[in-house]
Amino acid sequence: MRRIIILLLLLGVMQLISLVAPFGGAGRSLLVFGFLILAAYSVGELAKQLHLPKIVGYLAAGVVFGPNALNVVRAEAVTNLAPVSDLAIALIAFLAGAELEWGELRRRGLALLRLTGAELAVTFVAIFCVLVLLREWVPFLAGLNWTTVLTFSALFASIAIVHSPAVTMALLTETGARGPLARTTLGVVLLADVVVVIVFSSVLTLARVLVPSGTGGVGTVVSIAWEIGGAIPIGAALGVVVAAYLRFVRAELFLFAILVTFFGLEISRLLHVETLLMLIVTGFVAETLAPGNMGEALRRAMERSAAPVFVVFFALAGAKIDVSLLLQVWPLVIPIALARVAGIWGGTRLGARWARIPPEEGRLVWMGLVSQAGVAIGLVTVAGNAYPAAGGDMRTMLLSVIAVNETVGAILFRRALLKAGEVNGTNAKAPEQALAEPEPAPG
Amino acid sequence: MNTALLLVVLVAVAYAAAHIAFQWLGRHLLIVSGAEYLLLGILLGPSVSGLVSAESLRAFLPFMTLALGWMGAMVGMRLYLPGMVRLRGVFYRVAIVQSLVTLVGVTAAALLMFRGIFGVTADYALVPSLVLGAIATCSAQDAVQFIIQRLGRSSVVVRQMEVAVGMDSVIGIVTVGVVLCFNHVAAPTLPRSPTPVEWMVISAALGVIGGMLFHLFLGEERDPDRLFISLGGAIVFMTGAATFLQLSPILPGMLMGVILVNTSRNRREIEEALHRVERPLYFVLLLCGGALWSPGRSAWLIPVLGFLAARWFFKVAGARVAARFNGMLPVLGPNWGRALLGQGGIALAIGFNYLSENNAFFPNIVFTAAVASVLLTDAFSARLMRHAVDASPWQRTSGEAVVVRATEPVGPEPRIDAVERG
Repeated sequence: MRRIIILLLLLGVMQLISLVAPFGGAGRSLLVFGFLILAAYSVGELAKQLHLPKIVGYLAAGVVFGPNALNVVRAEAVTNLAPVSDLAIALIAFLAGAELEWGELRRRGLALLRLTGAELAVTFVAIFCVLVLLREWVPFLAGLNWTTVLTFSALFASIAIVHSPAVTMALLTETGARGPLARTTLGVVLLADVVVVIVFSSVLTLARVLVPSGTGGVGTVVSIAWEIGGAIPIGAALGVVVAAYLRFVRAELFLFAILVTFFGLEISRLLHVETLLMLIVTGFVAETLAPGNMGEALRRAMERSAAPVFVVFFALAGAKIDVSLLLQVWPLVIPIALARVAGIWGGTRLGARWARIPPEEGRLVWMGLVSQAGVAIGLVTVAGNAYPAAGGDMRTMLLSVIAVNETVGAILFRRALLKAGEVNGTNAKAPEQALAEPEPAPG
Repeated sequence: MNTALLLVVLVAVAYAAAHIAFQWLGRHLLIVSGAEYLLLGILLGPSVSGLVSAESLRAFLPFMTLALGWMGAMVGMRLYLPGMVRLRGVFYRVAIVQSLVTLVGVTAAALLMFRGIFGVTADYALVPSLVLGAIATCSAQDAVQFIIQRLGRSSVVVRQMEVAVGMDSVIGIVTVGVVLCFNHVAAPTLPRSPTPVEWMVISAALGVIGGMLFHLFLGEERDPDRLFISLGGAIVFMTGAATFLQLSPILPGMLMGVILVNTSRNRREIEEALHRVERPLYFVLLLCGGALWSPGRSAWLIPVLGFLAARWFFKVAGARVAARFNGMLPVLGPNWGRALLGQGGIALAIGFNYLSENNAFFPNIVFTAAVASVLLTDAFSARLMRHAVDASPWQRTSGEAVVVRATEPVGPEPRIDAVERG
C-alpha cells in the first residue's frame, strides 16, 4: 500500500510541477532522474512482492511512465539521461570484472570456455536456421538472394546470441547470490561477451566480402579489432592504477569508485576501445592486485553508488521499449526468441557435459543466459552502419527480441538461483523458504 | 584532450592534492581546502585559459544544481531541535542580530552602489542587493567544524561561532529563497500566475514533500543501501523540481534536512550518507563554478570591492553590536566578528543559484562578488576563527578554553558558566 501511495504522490507532484513550471528546461533531467529513482524502485518492490525480480519492476516502470505510455518521462528526457546509462554500463562492467577471481579462472577457465563455446554455437545455429526458414516474412531477408539471406541471417544470429552482463550483475546484487550457479553464469556471460564481439567481427568481415555494401571496408574491421584488442591492455593499465590507489591512498572509496568509472568511460571513448571489455579487465586486475580486503571495500563502495544508477538504467531501458512496435512484429519475435531459448538450453546441456560441470548446475545454467540488453544494441548499430538498408529492420527486430528476453531472462535467472538455493542476500528470502513457496510461471 | 576527461582528471588530481597537501596544511597551518578548486576552475575556464569550454561545462550543470540541494540539506541537518533547545537563548540572539545587521547593512550598501554606479532604480537594484546581502551573511561552515575538531565545543567562543555560522547559513538561504520567489517569472500555462507568497509555499512544500517521500520510501528499514537510495532519490527529485520551477533548490533542501534530522531515527546514518556525497558535489561546484566565472563587460570591480568592504565592516560591527546588546562582549571580545569573515560553500552556492536564474539582474557581478569573497577568505577562515578564540578576553585571562557548565538560568548579565543549559 505504501508503494502505491508513493507512486500516486510522485505522479501527482509531477503533474502539478508540469502545470506550474514557468518555462521548463533547466532541471527537468534532474527531476526525471529523481522521479525514476523513486518510482522505478517502488515498482521494483511491488514486483518483489509478486515474486518477480526487482529489475522486471524497473523495466515495467520505464514502460508505464515512458514516452510510449503515460509520457511522464518524455523522449527527450530519455535522451538527456543517456549519460546515466553509460555510467551504469561502466559500473556493471567494473563490478563484473571484480567478481572474477584469478584462482577460479585458472581452475575453471577451460570448463567455462567449453560451456560458453557450446552454448554460443548451438544458439547461433538455432537462430540462423529459424531466420532462414522464416526468410519470406522477415523484413530484412524477404525477396533477397540466397547469399544475402545466409549472410544477413548469420549477422543477425551473431548479435542475437549475446547475453546481458547488466541483468546478470543486477540480479546477483539483488539476491546476494555467490554460489556455483551464480559464478558459472557470470563467467559464461562475461566470456560470451568477448567471444560474441570476436564472432560478430568475423561474420561482419565475411559479410562485407560476400555482400559488398559500399560503406566502410577494411578500416572498419581493423577498428573493430582495435576495439577488442586495445581494450585489454588499456583496461589492465587502469586496473593497475586502481590497485595502486587501493594500496597507497585507501581513502574516500565512494568518490574514487565514481571517478574510476567516469574516467574509464571517457578513456574508452577517447581511444575507441570496447568500454565493457575494458572495464571488465580493469575490475579484474584491480581486484586481483588489490591488497587485503581493499578490493572488496571498493566493490562495496561501487555497489552502493551504483544502486540508484542501476534503477534508472533499467527504467530507461524500459522507457525505450516500444510496445506498439512489439505488437506489430510479435509473430516473428516469438519464434526467434523461442529458438534462442532452445539453443541456449541445448547448448548448455551439451556444454555442461563436455565441460564436466555438475549435473544440477548444468541443468539450471541456461536460465541465467536468456537475458539480453545493451551490447546487442551496440552491435546492431555497427551492423546498421555497414548495411544501412537492412540495418533499420534488423534493429527493430532485435530491439523487440531484446524487450522479451530482458524481461523473461531476469525472471528465469532469479528462479534458477532460487532453485539452486543460492539466494542468500539480505533482501532475499532464505533458499528453503523460497523453494517452499509457489513460483510464478516463467514469462 | 577531451574536456570531460580533463575535468574528471582535474577532480581526481584536485581531490588527491586536497587529501595529501591540504590535510597537512590544515593540520599545521589551519588552512581550509576549497578555494584552490575555485581558482583552478577560473584558470581553466573560458574567461582565462579556455581549456574547458562553456559547452562542456553545460554537461556538469545537473551536478552543480544537485550540489545546491544537497548542501541545503546538509545545513538543515545541523538544525536538530532537541540539541538546539539545550543552548541558552543568548547564543541565538547574538547570532541573529549579527546576521541581520550584515544582511541589512550589505543590502543597503549594495543598493546605493548599484544606483550610484549603474543609475538604475531601486526596484531594479533591490533583488541583486538582497542576494549580495544574503551572500554576505554566510560564513564558512567547514572552518567552524575544523575548529570544533581541534578545540571541542567547550569554549563559549567556539560555541557562539558554531551557532552564528549556522544562523548565517539559515538566514542567507531563507533570504535568497524568498527573494527568488518575489523575482519569479510568470507561468504561461496557468490562467493566473502564482503570487510570491504562493511560490514561497510551493518552495516550502517541495522540502516537505522531499522529507515525506524519504520517510514513506524508507519505512522501518535501516539497510544502508536502501537509506542511500531513499535519500538520494528524494534530494534529486526535490532539487530537480525546485530548479524546474525556477526556485532556489537550497531552501527546500534545507527544509528537507530539518525534517530528516528531527523526524528520523537514522539521523547519524543520514548525515554520514549526505556528507559522503556532498564533498564530491562540492568540488564539482567549486571547479565548475570557477570555470563559469565570467565578469562580463560591466564595471564589476568597484561593486565587488565595495561588497567586500561592506561585508567586512558589517560583519565585524554587527557582531560587536550583537555581543554588546546581549551582554556577551566581555566573553567574546570586540572583534569576535572577524571569526565570521571566512566564506565557503554556501556563499558560492547562493551566487551560483542566482547566476543560473533566468530573470536575474547583474548576475555576473553578484557571482563575481561571491567568487572573490570565497577566494580571499575561505583558505584562512579557520585561522580567523582561531585568532578570535585566542583573542577573546576570557581566553586570555584564564589561559584555556572556557568550560561551559549546566547551571542556573541566565540573569540580567549573563554569567560565563551559565550560558548552556542541560
